[in-house]
Amino acid sequence: MSFDGDEYSKRTLDFVQRLQRLTKYDEICREITTELEWFGFSCVTSWSLPGPGGNPADGVMFNTRPQEFIERYCEKNYVMLDPTVSELRRTLNPFSWGDVLRRRDLTKSQKTIFDEAREFGARDGFIVPIVTLSGSMALFAPCGLEPNLSDRARAAIEIMGVYCHHALRRALLQNQREEAVHTPLTPREREVMQWVAIGKTDEEIADILSIGTTTVTSHVENAKQKLDAFRRTYAVVQAIRFGEITL
Amino acid sequence: MVIVLEGSERRRQHKYFNQLFRLRHQIFVKGRGWSLPSVNDCEIDQYDVDDAVYLLDLNDEDVIQGSVRMTPSERCSLLADYFPHLVENGESPRSPLVYECTRYIVLPAQKSREANRAAKARLLGAAVEWSLSRGLAYLQTVIDSVTLSSFVEMTPQTIPLGLSHPYGGGRKTPGGGECMAIRWPISQQVLDDIHAYGGVDRRIREISDFNPADRRAPVQLVH
Repeated sequence: MSFDGDEYSKRTLDFVQRLQRLTKYDEICREITTELEWFGFSCVTSWSLPGPGGNPADGVMFNTRPQEFIERYCEKNYVMLDPTVSELRRTLNPFSWGDVLRRRDLTKSQKTIFDEAREFGARDGFIVPIVTLSGSMALFAPCGLEPNLSDRARAAIEIMGVYCHHALRRALLQNQREEAVHTPLTPREREVMQWVAIGKTDEEIADILSIGTTTVTSHVENAKQKLDAFRRTYAVVQAIRFGEITL
Repeated sequence: MVIVLEGSERRRQHKYFNQLFRLRHQIFVKGRGWSLPSVNDCEIDQYDVDDAVYLLDLNDEDVIQGSVRMTPSERCSLLADYFPHLVENGESPRSPLVYECTRYIVLPAQKSREANRAAKARLLGAAVEWSLSRGLAYLQTVIDSVTLSSFVEMTPQTIPLGLSHPYGGGRKTPGGGECMAIRWPISQQVLDDIHAYGGVDRRIREISDFNPADRRAPVQLVH
């Protein structure tokens, strides 16, 4: 009926299971790096491709390629030139650097990108394309000196790539949310926001607390900044969400 | 609105079944070129049995805009019959606690990403909800490997049962590609994930038991 699988499927199914239990960004990154080493991949970049005019560096979710390579890649706008990126217009199936080199005639400047990768010890790599929720493209792209690119290894990396992408994305979103929580309000700011929440104007609050209107306004402004809110009403929503005030 | 029909109601609910089998023929035989048994522009196969369960997402005019067929894997499993090599974790693809989803169709009237996502969530949310009510452990299905990401996006709990394998002639062959088998654990967590994915409001859900005696229309599961 079914079989127990080989080393490749066992590893991959175990890896997915371990990844599903992790929520912390650093732990996920460590797990990915360790697993890829078994396949002979020394570096990896998990990357959401930028939209028109976007900054390529913004989409990097996880990267272990040397920083200089990435900086040069962004500086020289290689994203416009990189044949592994333009290959995505042809296929949504995973492919290796070697596949692209065999399939297409590359210009000298396109080959430069591969040469520069060789400088940090990557002779071949694999690209798993992922279509994101917003319809844009993301890549899971490990590389190494002599990575295992057998059919079974490719099938394993394809599944790993999809799970890694989503695990990293979720962990990063969670980090963003947690970061937004910090910077607590002072007791006075909290008191002022409590009055703002029930609809009092700055003048009314000044009267109630027997302080100057400008002082009230500055407390509100500070609270808005700490709560990452552009408007008073949103500051109230945020303050309630973070448990700073109650209604 | 998503409704639930059972294969045994095929005659009584012929209006819906007729529409469904025609739609399936249009999509899978004409559209995707699958070689499936079809008669009079209707696609019906050996898994359209009495205990198959059909979820139909209907619009206000009673036109099907989404559908999935769920079969008890113990008796009706495409995975066990034709793709047993996709299961590489040593588990049996047949179990009384596992149903199998096939003939998955999502055709929202509005062609936007949001509408598509909401339609998927409505249909698959209903499938998980129905499975919860039946005390099932898993839903399983064979998917085209390039769609794995969209399933993991819906819920990170998605479990691969093995790696990708070529079907219908392999990569780049028309009608072929790579396929794999996945399972969804049946839990409230998975249901919440799906609702969050589709932006479906949980408060308006409503489950009622099907009682043919006092209902002309089939059971309404999800608005």
